[in-house]
Parts: sequence; C-alpha cells; structure tokens
Amino acid sequence: MSKVLCSIATRGRYHSTLPLVLQAVINQTWLPNKVIIFDDNDEPQDMRKEFIYQHLFQQMQAKGIEWEWLFADKKGQHHIHQKANEMGYDWVWRVDDDCIPEPTVLQSLYSHATQIENVGAVGGSIITGKPVNASKSTGHIENIDNEPNIQWDFIKGIREVMHLHCSFLYRAGVHDFNLGLSRVAHREETLFTYGLYLKGYKVLTAPHATSWHMKNPEGGIRAETKREMFDHDEQIFRNFLSYSGRPIVVLNCGLGDHIVFSKILPELDNPAVFTCYPEIIAGRSIAEAQHLFGDLDQWNIYKKMDQWKWTDSLENAYRKLYL
Amino acid sequence: MILIHPFAKPLIKGGINPKNYPYWKELIGLIKEPIVQIGVEGEEQLVPDFRKNLSMPELRQLIKDCRVWIGVDSFFQHLAWSEGKPGIVLWSVSDPLIFGHPENHNLLVSRKHLAPNQFLWWDYTAFDENKFVKPAEVLKFL
Repeated sequence: MSKVLCSIATRGRYHSTLPLVLQAVINQTWLPNKVIIFDDNDEPQDMRKEFIYQHLFQQMQAKGIEWEWLFADKKGQHHIHQKANEMGYDWVWRVDDDCIPEPTVLQSLYSHATQIENVGAVGGSIITGKPVNASKSTGHIENIDNEPNIQWDFIKGIREVMHLHCSFLYRAGVHDFNLGLSRVAHREETLFTYGLYLKGYKVLTAPHATSWHMKNPEGGIRAETKREMFDHDEQIFRNFLSYSGRPIVVLNCGLGDHIVFSKILPELDNPAVFTCYPEIIAGRSIAEAQHLFGDLDQWNIYKKMDQWKWTDSLENAYRKLYL
Repeated sequence: MILIHPFAKPLIKGGINPKNYPYWKELIGLIKEPIVQIGVEGEEQLVPDFRKNLSMPELRQLIKDCRVWIGVDSFFQHLAWSEGKPGIVLWSVSDPLIFGHPENHNLLVSRKHLAPNQFLWWDYTAFDENKFVKPAEVLKFL
C-alpha cells in the first residue's frame, strides 16, 4: 500500500475555513497516513491547544492518522509543497485551506492514481459557489486563457488534461515546484502539473471527488496585494509556455558534467539548452535561464542526486532527470 | 607519451582539494616514458613539458596522441571518456561508481574513505593522503 501525505498550507484562516478542511479530511472514506499543517501565517500562533483543534487532533489520533503542525518560512505555499514533495511519501494530497473536500475525494483520487498506469497527478471538481460550465473545455495548456478549467465544473468521467487548478493528489518526488515564484505563488499549481505532463506522466481529472472552494476573501494568496508579485509569476509562467512543450535543459553545473550530459543530448527532441560551457554544449546562458524561469534548482543535478540519495552513475542521473 | 592531469579545480575556500593525488612526484620518478602535464596557470609544474590553458581541440588531440593518461577525479577523465580513450583515475573521497567510467582503471583504496555526502562542494571534506593508492600500485596499470 502506498504512503499518502495530506499537505495543507495555511495562512490567515485559523478561525474560518481551516478547521472545516481538517474535519473534512478526517471524514474521508479512505484516510491519508499523515496530515501536516504548514503554518505560513505572518504572525503564527500555536493553535494546538485551542479547543476546536484539540478536538480535531483527537479525532485524527482515534482514526490512526498521524498529524503534525509545522511552522513554515513565509516564502509562499510553493516552498511548503516542495517540502511535502521531498518527505519520502509516495503520493501527496495537497488540500487548500479554504477548499472543503467531500468524503469520497481522496478515495476517488487515490484509486484513479494507482489503478491507471503512469499517473502524475489527479484532481477532482473544485466548485466555487456554483459550477462553471466546462463541458467544452479541453484541459490543454494552449487554451488556458480561453476556456474555463475542467475542475471548475462537476466532473463526470476520467479525462486526461495538461494541467490542474488546485487541491489534487500527485506522485511525490518526481517533479519540483518552481521556487522562483514570488510569495503569492501565482500559477504554481499549473506550472507544477504541466511539468508533470511534460515529463510524460498522465494528469487526470476524476469524478466523485468534489471539493467546495469557499474562496475565503481573507488569507491565502489573497493576503498579498502587490501587483508586481503576480506580474512576476505570470511572466515566468508565460516564459515556460513559450517553449511549447520542448524539453528545457539547464546545465548549471561543472565542465565534466557537461561532457557527460553530451551523451544524453542526442536523445532529447529539439531541446532548449542553457549552458555554462557553450564550447562543450551550445546553448544560451544560465543568466538568461534564471531570468526566464526564476529558480533553477529543478535542473540542479547535484541537488537532485542528493535528494534521490543517488548511488548510480552521473549519466543515469541525467537520464532520470531528462528522459 | 603519458599524459597526466594532476589537479582538480581549486576549492572555493582555498586549501588542498581532497581529490588531489599527493604522490605525483614519486609516481613520475617511477615512469620511464616521456610525460606531458596538462593543467592551468598557477598549478605546480611537475615535469618539464607542462602545457597550460589548452583549448578543447588541443586537449582532445593530446588524448588521441598519448599512450595512456593518468588523472584525478576532474573534468579531464570525462573528456578522455568522451574521446573513447581509457586511462587511470586516482580516487580518494569521491565515488567512482557515480562519477567514474567503468572503461577506466579506477584506483580506490577503500570505499570506506568515500565522503558520506557525494554532492556537496569538496571544501567540506578534509584532504588525507592515506586515502590514495601508492605510486607502485599505479605503475602496475601502466
């Protein structure tokens, strides 16, 4: 049986929707192994002794769900989700702190994730007040500006899409969240799930997995009002889209690493390459990659090998990262 | 001709790179063939023919021309591998199963000397001459 972590990033919602979300997680027909609340509040408080939270954690203990309350770094929920991504679980169910899942959500998402081959992420309906008609939506990234997201409607059957909007189950440890986004982490879910799609994993929407998005006007992403943060993140998102699915290679590493990678390069289809040593592998500069994509750690082969506790060859590490 | 590449790149914080072989002078004294040293400006000259700051095409040509090469764990062993020329690599704290190529003679005293984390800068690993094979052992592979 796979290990499933439920990861909840919270900001500004101690006394509004967060307890509702926790109760809804406890009431799932299929339970996660552990729930972690990542507290990203500007002025965090210890809620563990408050009556309502004591009661919720008692229920978790009674139902055999491990729980933990961690104080985050106030860098945004993408940093939080990356931590969850690296914690050694097989799957992470990320639940927004104002998105209340119906009891069958995790059971549905998990069964689809594990019964269908090569799933990277699967999400259900996310209904804000009333459903939006998305019957003609494709879920393709190139249509993102012109169609409602499939998750905003009641989902009646399994569909393969290129990206998800929020509150989904994903395969942990195979793709990174973009840590170059600002604290608002605008588009982080789309970038992450589209990245899974580009790596060849299936991204799905599934039925019987409806969550009710309260869209709390206070807290969360809406606690930030600086327009430039959204603009910064939107630009990174658009830069990714401009490569139209071409593999992006960023060689922010040593000369010898470039030489080893040169054996892999011919196996990639029309890659966009950014390099430190253009005399070994032609490409654009690392500074340009930094400007276009924000954070480059997702391509840092040494960070990845450390994360994977790698013992095989450097060449095979590159294969795992790019092929 | 034997080609030697004696030194890995300098550490960021200074000090001796723990991958640098400590017995080059003794080893060179045992070799009875012409030796060409390659490296960069500022590195210690070990033989009369020291060619510094060569371009990639020049390095590739020397790899083709040599009978065999000897080096430490640095970019050069990868360059020679990409040219299809096997050689001798003198290991200490980095892991030849990760960073090496099986086509080479990868000389390592013991895996117990390997740094626990292979993916940090080498500044954090102490230099220790006892972690390298002795020159007489290297000679057996020439």
